[in-house]
Amino acid sequence: MLYKILPRDSYQSFVENLIRNFDFIGPKRKDKATHEFTKITSFGELDLSYKKTTIPPAKQILFPSTEEIVEYRREDNSIEFRPVVEHSLKLLFGVHSCDINAINFLDKVFSTDFSDDNYLSKRRNMVIIGTDCEPRETCFCLAMGKEYVTAGFDLFLSELTNRYFVRVATSQGNKLIEKYASGISSAGEKDFKEYNEKIGDFRKKFKLSPDAKSFYDNFDLIYNDEEFWKKVAKNCFSCGSCCLVCPTCFCFNVRDEIELNLKEGKRIREWDSCMIPEYGLVAGGHNFRPTKENRLKQRYQCKLKTFVDKFNTYACVGCGRCIETCLANISIASDIDSVRKEVTV
Amino acid sequence: MSGKPKVGIFGFTGCGGCQLEILDAEDKLVDLASAVDIVHFTEAITEHSDDYEIALVEGSISTNHDVERIKKIGSIAKIIVAIGACACTGGLNCLKNLYGVEKAKELVYGDKKDWIDAIETRPIDEYVKVDYYARGCPPNRFEILQIVKALILGKKPEIPNYPVCVECKRLGNTCVYDLGMTCMGPIARAGCEARCPSNGSGCEACRGVIDEPNVNAQKDLLAERGLTVEDIMEQFNLYNACKKLV
Ligand code: SF4
Ligand code: SF4
Repeated sequence: MLYKILPRDSYQSFVENLIRNFDFIGPKRKDKATHEFTKITSFGELDLSYKKTTIPPAKQILFPSTEEIVEYRREDNSIEFRPVVEHSLKLLFGVHSCDINAINFLDKVFSTDFSDDNYLSKRRNMVIIGTDCEPRETCFCLAMGKEYVTAGFDLFLSELTNRYFVRVATSQGNKLIEKYASGISSAGEKDFKEYNEKIGDFRKKFKLSPDAKSFYDNFDLIYNDEEFWKKVAKNCFSCGSCCLVCPTCFCFNVRDEIELNLKEGKRIREWDSCMIPEYGLVAGGHNFRPTKENRLKQRYQCKLKTFVDKFNTYACVGCGRCIETCLANISIASDIDSVRKEVTV
Repeated sequence: MSGKPKVGIFGFTGCGGCQLEILDAEDKLVDLASAVDIVHFTEAITEHSDDYEIALVEGSISTNHDVERIKKIGSIAKIIVAIGACACTGGLNCLKNLYGVEKAKELVYGDKKDWIDAIETRPIDEYVKVDYYARGCPPNRFEILQIVKALILGKKPEIPNYPVCVECKRLGNTCVYDLGMTCMGPIARAGCEARCPSNGSGCEACRGVIDEPNVNAQKDLLAERGLTVEDIMEQFNLYNACKKLV
């Protein structure tokens, strides 16, 4: 990692150069309630004071909600398949630490055991520039150890007095800053001091502090407590929104769309969710997770246990999107605490 | 199914818009006509035939004459596909039942009410076995075509049994609750590409509800957003009064 200083005066021209030279995707106000990551064409559109977006910044690009993966065509005696792998160079600007940590998680998922060309080709073509954020009421990345990110980005910009502290994580990032920014210098002692203070203050701002470790340790004890899970899942709509907005959820369903001539068609994958009843339905009509309490329990297990055993990391970065999106007021952060309370009484 | 399947398209009580929706499939219509034999199509062709394997039925059952006709279709067709809200859930027509048939007849036809052969409105599956449902008001023409394709291929059509929220999230929509509106999306059956929320208004569940709707949670949600009991009943009943969800 290199540590550099970008003077405040050079910031706008740096960003404008990037907008001019890249397919630049950044946060922009969408309506009175939300922001979204979308194509930015001028500096003024960019709104870095954004609250978290409904859909995570990189997910829609790397793992689109609906994506064609194969095209096929049938002739009289043969069938021709063509894999569809689409990608183009994109620059994502203004991504927060939790969301970059989530990308790092997805990178692992889509490259372990099986390498997913559709995801990875887009990922290889993505430049990521991170920026600071202010914790919101539903943020608990600190508790998940995901409030700071050390890899997975090219540049990370933190605003200090009159300047930006820039962490340069890749040679690509270094080239960007050398080519498009002026007045760059190496960070010195004073800069590090102010930067560290800033990070320290940031860590003090979180309101939620669920104890995920205790969930991990106690999950087996509560696993069969049907009453507990019924209570927790009582108002769940099984709507799947919590998964679909999650930056680390990666489940998808695959279906075929065939033309009426029955000769050509395409295979599509689309976001799926373990909270939807059909997810656990298999041929013959058996459903492995027939109730909403089964499903919620499974979701929490996946987020807080399964991947700790598999990848040594939580599959939750504490971004709080699922909490904000849930119309049944179900919160993973409070449920982590409910498990702890339930087993310690 | 061997050879080209014969298809009949029938209309009952409703606005006829579902059949128009099929006609609206324009470029796909030629392909449809070459994939199946359409032997009966109330809104589009004049010939009538009682020889068909697949019946696509729009409209709800609201007269004694309707009852006879739908039963006859049921005795001929091997597969029945209900099309549109009226056929699938009874649709808006079920609001009539809330007044009582006699009262409704009087309100609409005054002193001519005795001329009218009206009974309580019902979705068609109260009289015949329905194999598949192409829901919505109007239904989604692509879904109708998809069902027909699946039938030709001998596959089970994939009709969403998840709520509209899923489609909103896939589309990246801002939840209309965050914009200060209410919505039946959390229990309403998807398949419309979240048509109403995508255009800035709440879902009214014209496609009916999912198999296991959390009705109590939906009531809680609407009440939490300030709706009165009457308002809540109205939201539930608009398209689904026959289903007696509340
Ligand atoms: S927990 Fe909330 S967002 Fe998730 S499926 Fe249940 S109701 Fe939907
Ligand atoms: S589980 Fe919830 S808080 Fe955790 S990463 Fe997913 S959306 Fe964010």
